[in-house]
Amino acid sequence: MYLLRLALASLGNRRFTALLTVFAIALSVCLLLAVERVRTEARASFANTISGTDLIVGARSGSVNLLLYSVFRIGNATNNIRWDSFERFADHRQVKWAIPISLGDSHRGYRVMGTSPAYFEHFRYARSQPLQIGQGRAFADDPFEVVLGAEVAKALDYRLGEELVLAHGVATISLVKHDDKPFSVVGILERTGTPVDRTLHISLAGMEALHVDWQNGMPARGAGVVSAEQARSLDLQPKQITAFLLGLNSKIATFSLQRELNEFRGEPLLAILPGVALQELWSLMGTAEKALFVVSLFVVLTGLIGMLTAILTSLNERRREMAILRSVGARPWHIASLLILEAFALALAGVLLGLLLLYLGIVGAQGHVQANYGLYLPLDLPTAYEWALLGAILSAALLMGCVPAWRAYRQSLADGLSIRL
Amino acid sequence: MSSALISLSNLGFAWPGQAQLLDIPSFTLQRGESLFLKGPSGSGKTTLLGLLGGVQTPNRGSIRLLDQELSALSASARDRFRVDHTGYIFQQFNLLPFLSVRENVELPCHFSRLRASRAIQRHGSIDQAAATLLAHLGLKEPTLLERRADELSIGQQQRVAAARALIGQPELVIADEPTSALDFDAREAFLQLLFAECREAGASLLFVSHDQSLARLFDRSLSLAELNRAATPTEV
Repeated sequence: MYLLRLALASLGNRRFTALLTVFAIALSVCLLLAVERVRTEARASFANTISGTDLIVGARSGSVNLLLYSVFRIGNATNNIRWDSFERFADHRQVKWAIPISLGDSHRGYRVMGTSPAYFEHFRYARSQPLQIGQGRAFADDPFEVVLGAEVAKALDYRLGEELVLAHGVATISLVKHDDKPFSVVGILERTGTPVDRTLHISLAGMEALHVDWQNGMPARGAGVVSAEQARSLDLQPKQITAFLLGLNSKIATFSLQRELNEFRGEPLLAILPGVALQELWSLMGTAEKALFVVSLFVVLTGLIGMLTAILTSLNERRREMAILRSVGARPWHIASLLILEAFALALAGVLLGLLLLYLGIVGAQGHVQANYGLYLPLDLPTAYEWALLGAILSAALLMGCVPAWRAYRQSLADGLSIRL
Repeated sequence: MSSALISLSNLGFAWPGQAQLLDIPSFTLQRGESLFLKGPSGSGKTTLLGLLGGVQTPNRGSIRLLDQELSALSASARDRFRVDHTGYIFQQFNLLPFLSVRENVELPCHFSRLRASRAIQRHGSIDQAAATLLAHLGLKEPTLLERRADELSIGQQQRVAAARALIGQPELVIADEPTSALDFDAREAFLQLLFAECREAGASLLFVSHDQSLARLFDRSLSLAELNRAATPTEV
């Protein structure tokens, strides 16, 4: 205990260097933990995006591409699939439920998805959690009803009953708007932490009604225009959709149905297993994520080497201090312990300050990160893994403290009690 | 138990690869005696103090402190033996600047249980021992105890160093040029205080200096050059 008091007093005497060292370690620790948290959270929210779906089916392209547009609302489908293909497999004896998905429109940067009421009933995320309608209800028979994802409602401040206009295409700034056919908000979903939060859901009939008078990808003009009122009376059965999700009666049938879909002669289809495709996608991103982690480990190492440098540099000017301690009875191992304690104290202060910075950072950036990246950074106590990381940093500091300790030990044996001026 | 505190016999020492530095046939310091040892720099003075402190070991001969043969002890036992029985005062900058005056004085008690228990036995507590010693040495002001050591004048610092050497009544006080940074009047005043405290504690004082003018104040005065057969003639 007394040695600790001496080590701290001696550090206090060099408080400027000590503070800089602590700060460098703190920043590196904060960076490491932040990267670790974002990494863990990204992985978790990634794996949580979809659950309970056995097959995702779309036009033939790449499996990652299909996963990206059907689940993550990123990128676009290269081709649509025919409604009768969907019907054929929706009625397949192995299929328990089928959710059609029709994409292509947006609203102020958020994607619009046409689907059926089956979506609210069967779609699952995280650990088989169903979607919850927080306010209002799902869309019903009227085609111009929209159900908002939680984040869309929050970010754009929409309430039930409000009307909004969808835009053609998925660009953030859209030149062609469906302003002749406004939609009214009938429901808002609870937050899920998945891309669902950033989606506007309309019925397939609504999606069809928006484009009923379009020809060759352009809105109709003059006599060709179909008003919203007229559209309501038309047959709004879609002829094409973008993709569909299937839930099967038995998991065992997954592979045979996948093969059946992939070999379907009606049109080229691609059926993927969500888990496999997620894995594939994550392995693409995993490299970057690992690289980030390794870089932040090296930053911590740099911080610790900075500490080592600071202590080693101080050794020479502290020969007097060591000799005085020797003359009042400190043995060489006391001197060595002092230096190890010093290194440990610096690292511990760095780790604690790093944690403080991390939590301040999370408090400050939580909302922003959630709104822009859909990542929820929890303000939780460090996990067992994070404690282990911090423990490893402290152990590394102790180990590094042995270097100046050994030098001081040798030095104090050689110098003895004499202080050479 | 003999009356000699230190006795050297047939002592020889040389740094590795160098000529014989010390060759002392015999030397004794009696209990309670104050001895002035004159030695210019380079005469092996520092080495002799290192040998007495058990930091170095002689190539031959024996060093006995309190009838204990130092070379018979292990390095760490020598360290313990030193702090239990010896207090040191050096030339200048003797104190740890980041500790208070009181903490500086109490340092030896943290490394020697014997000195801590003696200080408590005599004064009731270590804090009290420090305060009493400092008061005897002319540092009476109570606020001074908690000041940082480097805020004091050099004369005051040397008195703090003396209090530290004396706390817990070691049998031997070794002073290595403690007055060289003081002016003449302060030197004598400092020495008188040191003598008085050593007498009260029953400690022997081995005072090493090149300043012959102080020699008359001591019980006995010796020159290292006379003692040391290895000394070169130019130094005698």
